[in-house]
Amino acid sequence: MSLRTHRFLFAVFSVSLVSAWATAAEEVDPAGMAFFEQKIRPVLVEHCYECHSAQAKKLKSNLFLDSRAGWLKGGDGGQSVIIPGDPENSLLIRTIRHLEEDLEMPPKKPKLPDAVIADFITWVKQGAPDPRTATLGEARRADKSWWSLQSIARPAPNKGIDDYVAEKLKEKGLGLNSPADPAALIRRMSYDVIGLPPTYAEVQAFVAAAQKDAEAATRELVDRLLASPHYGERWGRHWLDVTRFGESLGFERNIIIDDLWPFRDYVIQSFNADKPFDRFIIEHLAGDVIAKDNPAIEVASAFLVAGPYDDVLNQDLAAKKNIRAATLDDMITATGGAFLGLSFNCARCHDHKFDPIPTEDYYRLRAAFEGVTHGRRVIASAEERATHAAAVAAPTQRKVQLEREIEALDQVIEARALVELNQFLPIRPKVDPRLTEERFPAVAARYVKFVIRAHTGKPRQQNLGQTRLVEFEIWSAGTKPRNVALARAGAKAAGARSARAEDFADAYGPQLVIDGEYGEQWFVGIPAELTITLPQVETIDRIAFSNAKGGALFKDAAINGSSPCEYAVLVSVDGRDWREVASSAGREAWTPGHGVERFRAAVTTREQAEALAELRRELDQVQAQLKAVPKLREYWVGLHQAVPEPTFVHKGGDPMKPLGSVPPASLAVLDRVTPTYELPVDASEGERRLALARWITRTDNPLTPRVLANRIWHYHFGIGIVDTPSDFGFLGGRPTHPELLDYLATRLLENGWHLKPLHREILLSRTYRQSSAYHTEAARTDKDARLLWRYPLRRLDAEQLRDTMLAVAGKLDRQMGGPGFRLYRFTQNNVSTYFPLDEPGPETYRRAVYHQNARASIVDVLNDFDQPDIAFAAPRRAQTTTPLQALTLLNHRFTLDMAAAFAAQLTGSTAETITTAYARVLQRTPSVIERTAAAELIAQHGLTAFCRALLNSNELMFLQ
Amino acid sequence: MIRAKVAFTISGMNPPLFGLARRQFLGQMTTGLTGVALSRLLARDLVAATARPTHFAPKAKQVLQIFCPGAASHIDLWDYKPLLEKYDGTPLPGGETEVTFQGKNGNLMKSPWAFAPAGQSGKMISTLLPHLAGQVDDMAFIHSMTSRTNTHGPGCINMNTCFAREGFPSAGAWLSYALGSLNENLPTYIAIQDVRGEPPNGKANWGNGFLPAEHQGVTLAAQQPLRNLARPSSIGAAEDKATRAFLERINAEHAAMHPGSDELQARMASYELAARMQLTAPEVCDLSREPQHVHQLYGTDDRNPLKAAYARNCLLSRRLLEKGVRYVSLYCASRASAVDGLLNWDAHKTLKADYDRHAPIFDQPTAALLADLKQRGLLQDTLVIWCTEFGRMPTHQEGTTGRDHNPDAFTTWMMGAGVRGGVSHGATDDFGRRSVQDVTTVYDFYATVLHLLGLDHERLTYYHNGAARRLTDVHGHVIKSILA
Repeated sequence: MSLRTHRFLFAVFSVSLVSAWATAAEEVDPAGMAFFEQKIRPVLVEHCYECHSAQAKKLKSNLFLDSRAGWLKGGDGGQSVIIPGDPENSLLIRTIRHLEEDLEMPPKKPKLPDAVIADFITWVKQGAPDPRTATLGEARRADKSWWSLQSIARPAPNKGIDDYVAEKLKEKGLGLNSPADPAALIRRMSYDVIGLPPTYAEVQAFVAAAQKDAEAATRELVDRLLASPHYGERWGRHWLDVTRFGESLGFERNIIIDDLWPFRDYVIQSFNADKPFDRFIIEHLAGDVIAKDNPAIEVASAFLVAGPYDDVLNQDLAAKKNIRAATLDDMITATGGAFLGLSFNCARCHDHKFDPIPTEDYYRLRAAFEGVTHGRRVIASAEERATHAAAVAAPTQRKVQLEREIEALDQVIEARALVELNQFLPIRPKVDPRLTEERFPAVAARYVKFVIRAHTGKPRQQNLGQTRLVEFEIWSAGTKPRNVALARAGAKAAGARSARAEDFADAYGPQLVIDGEYGEQWFVGIPAELTITLPQVETIDRIAFSNAKGGALFKDAAINGSSPCEYAVLVSVDGRDWREVASSAGREAWTPGHGVERFRAAVTTREQAEALAELRRELDQVQAQLKAVPKLREYWVGLHQAVPEPTFVHKGGDPMKPLGSVPPASLAVLDRVTPTYELPVDASEGERRLALARWITRTDNPLTPRVLANRIWHYHFGIGIVDTPSDFGFLGGRPTHPELLDYLATRLLENGWHLKPLHREILLSRTYRQSSAYHTEAARTDKDARLLWRYPLRRLDAEQLRDTMLAVAGKLDRQMGGPGFRLYRFTQNNVSTYFPLDEPGPETYRRAVYHQNARASIVDVLNDFDQPDIAFAAPRRAQTTTPLQALTLLNHRFTLDMAAAFAAQLTGSTAETITTAYARVLQRTPSVIERTAAAELIAQHGLTAFCRALLNSNELMFLQ
Repeated sequence: MIRAKVAFTISGMNPPLFGLARRQFLGQMTTGLTGVALSRLLARDLVAATARPTHFAPKAKQVLQIFCPGAASHIDLWDYKPLLEKYDGTPLPGGETEVTFQGKNGNLMKSPWAFAPAGQSGKMISTLLPHLAGQVDDMAFIHSMTSRTNTHGPGCINMNTCFAREGFPSAGAWLSYALGSLNENLPTYIAIQDVRGEPPNGKANWGNGFLPAEHQGVTLAAQQPLRNLARPSSIGAAEDKATRAFLERINAEHAAMHPGSDELQARMASYELAARMQLTAPEVCDLSREPQHVHQLYGTDDRNPLKAAYARNCLLSRRLLEKGVRYVSLYCASRASAVDGLLNWDAHKTLKADYDRHAPIFDQPTAALLADLKQRGLLQDTLVIWCTEFGRMPTHQEGTTGRDHNPDAFTTWMMGAGVRGGVSHGATDDFGRRSVQDVTTVYDFYATVLHLLGLDHERLTYYHNGAARRLTDVHGHVIKSILA
């Protein structure tokens, strides 16, 4: 129903990509290939490769089944084991059908399921289409000669960005556009570098300066923008997409995380400080190792735990192991994608289908993260820790001493109370939480009050909130007793409750004890009193209460929480005069401890009472003192534990099927170009991560600088040289300008991994500064301007749009850092719910990068305009155009508020307000036609209507 | 400019109109069309519905999904187990030490409700569902479903996306992507939440995952209109109209100065579509246009407010399907609550009390909806699928009269376009503990759904972060026995 704009189309024929490189001449049957991929290859891999492939430890019968050439050549028998089109005479089919004696395949294993065998027969009948060959021309998968896995090519001397771009254009008979006009350029650059529009004054100043000396003016502009602290906010936001940074757990409970924002601030600050990126990566993976007790750096390794995390407790062992495997998979996937641009997660169950990543590589990465778990811990400098320890030392000591004195005194009192208790002879059994009854002489009552004085939990525990009750009954006297306390008979129950569930108003409430069902519990609050109002005065002679979920009659009914054990029952006819008719007096105490409590007051002397009171008073003071000491702050940065056992490869990704172990080590995928390492199996937890980080950031690791250089290009132009920024593998895009990419990667390394010099070089290039003017001829050759004959038209992204609306309305709060704001209301019960905020107030008027991005929450405006839900990394955002966007931008309260605020700031004559409005929103003067139309709208419907329209305009939304 | 990459595996044809709006395909052509012709085609396409071709002739064009979250018990609703009744109160053979989601289990516990034969087919169905019993001759039951997870949130999204973790597109999003819209004036994919709240894992159930955002389910219900649809009350109709006319004018000026930019045209068209949606959607959602007898049939005026609310959503579903909404997800009950079994079908502690609460809400309105769809001929084009995330144990949970989670066995059913009625596929063991015959997965389930919609589940793919993704991952077989 909607209109996607600009979509790069490419088709996949089975597994090969039709790209500039593919030879389109191959005649392959795509359906057959798909059949092979889905039905045949997995079976070969699982059941045959162990003995019949290049990876086989011991090759059997000299037969390879891992290539077409292999089965065509056959094994020791010297004949093809598959005769395409003829399953009857194909040896492979005969062996799996167990038609050949002593050659039943797979050996020593059950026969393959009939359905699988049928698939093989179908496949052979189809002519056994098999893509696993080099002879058909194009590689069907990448091997280690894949372009991205080669060392970075040394660029030719004296060549720059524009030369590489011009070269490619020239091959197609194209050339760069003329320079963009200065007003368009400053607008483009401002949004690109700091994510905000320029002011009209800035535009005018730049236009004037550019008329004098375009080079100098542009240079100055670039320097100013790169030095702005807003640069880190803009480019930090990009990086947060890449690192799948989200501030709630996701999964079922999706609990919000309120203390992950320091990672976001760390990212922004690092960008602003132009921290060398190799250092930045090392800090992501092992900041806590290299900079223990340095909070500014230690928070960086929160990267590992910034993804979704399933924290639902599961009693099932296999489920537990699978959840842990999925948790580590998130770290592995995030690391592989963000830094290396490879999809390692595909190698979790089997060797990567398309890239030369053996499954062991996946588990080598896992070995690096095996000791990392999600959670929070104290982040503080050594000095802060010392200060804190010193501040709490004395009061803690005094607290212990006071508690000891109180306990000693209590023991004396309790000993005396115990003597009394031993003399007390109970005349009735102790209460039964399943069902306790109290009978009393018949009495008229309309109101019955149940006062709970103690519960079956720890004696003396003040917290009556632990107490729960399933059902409370009041029985009428006479020969046909009825429970008159039922809600359905008109009774009402009142009483405080200690828990609430926002999703269900009546949850845990006292009415649950008169619903006639042994199901839900009343969570008794304070005061611990239940008052039941009967529909009319009744003559009653019995009450009963139960805390048995499932019903007192079931012997395995559950008693959750504690139950009332010391209580009184009072009745009243008018609700004013109360009379006690029953109580727990005379019952055996629930425990001796509970019994002691009955006598405590009576046996305490006045001196003892005073001494205790004094001690308690002092204890309260000391506790207040301790509370006043600021706590060391905890943050969601992950926990690190020693790794108890080696990391095993999981067969088929199933953690219940461990195969051989792998050490923490470098990845085989790069072993031809990047020196390897291997740590001992007992390497410490921190060492594992640090070694990996150092290996990833080696200057001879070709992927890291290439992937990074491409990301930078991607964000400057809206599309990368490789259009899949986190996938440099076989299924990813191919570089449009491979030499340029290596040039940029080289520059990055030459600049010591600093980003700002590279930004500057790109921003000052003619390629970047050309206009976005459209040419029909050029578009025929290169519709999407992948070769950059023009600067591609770009829609503002979600954050740019929201920040802009705030900025032009004069409402943008530029406060940097700290806890984020929320565009939703959040409630938490067992699970969390996020309700979109219908009326966002001024506390939400900060830049969108400071929004606390909870997963699976609905965030108006931002979600509509393609801010991703961060279940996965989003290295490239979608850019859609939909009617729902139009509805949001026309009708959401945010637009209305911004339009009103904007209008309120426009003063003067109508002509003046129109001029000012255009200057602020579009940084230009309106045309005569626009003036006339605007004036008409304002005259009839006011300024706000005019502002609402401007905020919806295409010119605001698109960058030229 | 950020471009989503579309990877379609197509056999036997050139790359493809398939999977792309026509105008986008045209936009990619490098030869033959002048800018003028292109923009004219573009304009025409913008006003036509963007229905897209299938792999082969479809049996169904639309889907109604009814989802009962909380793991609705197969052995208390659909899957008749006489031996469970016979051995009530004895240990589950081999299950003595079994630890499931919440812990230990007690003995076998028979269903609190009797089963009785229904319809021509004589299908045994729980007496808890007297109205739905009247529909069994049109239903195809799948009794041998299995899930990969025993946890509600992952279970629900697994039932909707075939993956137990977030981030993958739901079936409705896949169909929006593959087939496009039948009515541009309404969203293609609508998720109707229960009045009690969202299902476990909320919007991930109708999320677009890595597909473009336009494919996500839009939430809408009788109790909750489309967000931002209505003109704000503070703005008068004349003002709104004038504002939009002005906007159109300045956008047109701007576009004229920047020729060759489809994006500008597309965004202008999106405002026109929005205006039409503003006219159409409130009309479709206005249940007062239905006659009284229809309201009675559904039970929208029932004394139980939860039942009445669900009934209204059932009625709304029919109206949306009538108007060509491609995929409607209708939820009956909500997410897990701290109060077990109160808000959804998660009967851990008190099965009888819980289902006596939920079944009457579900039964009559759903049966009325199915009957109504049939009577109006809508079932000829509409596939109805009933889902829940997994099943429940045949034993009772230790210390309770409820049942724990059981990912090894549960029931789903389909009816309507292309489905053979009155049949049952697969079976569980004697007690309903495990699926044992023709064991079925959610991949098979959706392979079948896609098949009925004219799509080969192995050919419907989308490139994302290094893989050509499918709804059915790398699994799935069409369940042939339930095809008409």
